[in-house]
Amino acid sequence: MGIKVVPRHGKSLKEKMYLPAIVGGLKVTFSHFFTNLKDTSNIQTLNYPEEQPKDITERYRGVHRLTKREDDSVRCVACFMCSTACPAECIFIEATEREDNVDEKMPKKFSIDLLECVFCGGCVEACPCDAIRMDTGIFSFVKEKREDFVVDIDTLLSHKPMKGGKK
Amino acid sequence: MATIIVDNKEITVENGALLIEELLKNGIEIPHFCYHPALGKDGNCRMCMVEIEGKKRPQIACDTPITEGMIIRTKGEKIQKVKRQILEMELINHPIDCPICDQAGECSLQNYYMDVGLYENRLSTPKTHGKKNIDIGANVVLDQERCVLCTRCVRFTKDITKTKELGVLNRTDHSVISIFPGRPLSNPYAMNVVDLCPVGALTSKDFRFHKRVWFLEPAEAICNGCSKGCSIYVDHHKAKYEDDSIFRYRPRFNDQINGYFICDVGRLSYKVENKNRESVAKIRGKESEYEYASGKLLRLLKRHQGKILFLISPSLSLEEMAQVKKLSIKYGAKLSGYDICEYDKTFGDDYLKCNDLSTNRRGLNLLDIDESELGESVENIDLAVLIGRDDIETIKNYEQIEVKVLVHPSMPKDNDIYNLYLPMLTHTSRQGSFINIDGYLQFSKSNVEYAKETQSLLQIISILLNDNATTCKEIWDESLNKIIKNIHFEDIQKRSVKMDES
Repeated sequence: MGIKVVPRHGKSLKEKMYLPAIVGGLKVTFSHFFTNLKDTSNIQTLNYPEEQPKDITERYRGVHRLTKREDDSVRCVACFMCSTACPAECIFIEATEREDNVDEKMPKKFSIDLLECVFCGGCVEACPCDAIRMDTGIFSFVKEKREDFVVDIDTLLSHKPMKGGKK
Repeated sequence: MATIIVDNKEITVENGALLIEELLKNGIEIPHFCYHPALGKDGNCRMCMVEIEGKKRPQIACDTPITEGMIIRTKGEKIQKVKRQILEMELINHPIDCPICDQAGECSLQNYYMDVGLYENRLSTPKTHGKKNIDIGANVVLDQERCVLCTRCVRFTKDITKTKELGVLNRTDHSVISIFPGRPLSNPYAMNVVDLCPVGALTSKDFRFHKRVWFLEPAEAICNGCSKGCSIYVDHHKAKYEDDSIFRYRPRFNDQINGYFICDVGRLSYKVENKNRESVAKIRGKESEYEYASGKLLRLLKRHQGKILFLISPSLSLEEMAQVKKLSIKYGAKLSGYDICEYDKTFGDDYLKCNDLSTNRRGLNLLDIDESELGESVENIDLAVLIGRDDIETIKNYEQIEVKVLVHPSMPKDNDIYNLYLPMLTHTSRQGSFINIDGYLQFSKSNVEYAKETQSLLQIISILLNDNATTCKEIWDESLNKIIKNIHFEDIQKRSVKMDES
């Protein structure tokens, strides 16, 4: 391995005086300050959490939701494709015999541990029934206990698709 | 013997044998549905087409006897096209409901489709539907739509069990497998049709929806349902945050003992293995530290030296029996394998079921362990150690026995009878060799790990004996090879070996 010699900066008089650099920096700061003061509607930062982002795209991978069929029954048939594809192994499914005569099989338990989830979207890709999607636009999921981050089937079914997104 | 050329490679095969049989033996993949080595050829699925030089059209490999100098092609565009067309026909009315099908992952139709399938549907008319989810009895669920009509199940009930419950009804694409009205599938081997079915038409009610098959890990073991000792696969899986549990038993091919099948009782006996998993030692019914309980057993043995009775189950492995024998010699104990519970006059038949429900009774004879009734020989006994069995009735009448110790995978309900209880691993979690009723020596490799703290019987005994022999190999080298001279531990790793009558 060779050695790369990097020339040391800060040896000229202007650089040693230090003040011109300070002035240069403050010039940038104040130019932004006055621009924003003149037109507050165009500020790049958000006053989160009072202000929520409005520019989440359709492709954004938020917290999962389970979709329903036209007759309002669960679309998922517990085929375990998502949990097989999941690299974080955070999808826990228990299958059972279906009683609503729509199909033969349905999930009795379907929970996702959001603390383990890496939001890769592998489950959505793997699903042969379009039963799981990540189009809720939910980007922040706050709870007090670790256990609360394991979302169950009812919560996943109650999540709605993002406004403006495809149904 | 005959020499044939398959895909430009010369192989030597048996003259006159079925082509598919020899090809499969030589590891050449031939897709097939209706052919099964136990049921023979039927020639109805047409999936096993091969090109034979000199013949105008492709021929089915399952009904072609081998002749000297045959030149066969199993690959190539022509044969691929034939296979694709046959597969397209099989799939015309197939519901393609793999997501809810238990067979998915071990389905021939799925596998062949991935190999040669036609990836677009040319059907413009609606599919013919059959009935789904029909309970045809004996824990078998029938789905008529998924069926490819290979008639393996029909032939199984006709040729093997001779009960003839299944048949093919109707004609053309309305043909379905069915039972006869009011005559459900009911024979002690019925669930084998689930294994036989190459697709998801017959699935097990017991396994239904419990686990997708690609999660399962197979372990080679021996069924401990009766003294036939059928070779089985133990399909188990350790799900995240859960204990390793067993989901099903499947027959493992063994031409010497069980062929391709097992009985339903044995198949369902995995439930006991999942249930009987005690991991806490108990002293007079109260929970105790394992080390303390194990130490107490050692103290008891020392205190009662010469007045001990070891009552072992005839289902223990040879290794375990040899070690208990060693232990009994060390402490001057009486060793007995007397057991009347493991015998059921109504269980056996002339196929794979035996009246003797113990797994290794011939092992007792081999190791010269007394099997006669206890009678007066226990007069001076005051400590009884029951190993691998919990039949307290056997020693109940002997009032002189003050201290009773149990070493068993599960704790019986009325457990305060026992002064001391030590848990040990269950059958599928302990490796060991067994001799079946016909004198075949087999090794059960399965060691499903379910609880770290529970010990195998060999580990428990090694502490009492104060030696380090805890693996089967060590015990074979140390003691078993002195008794069984012509068979070595390595010989029984791959297959069962018949013991000499002498």
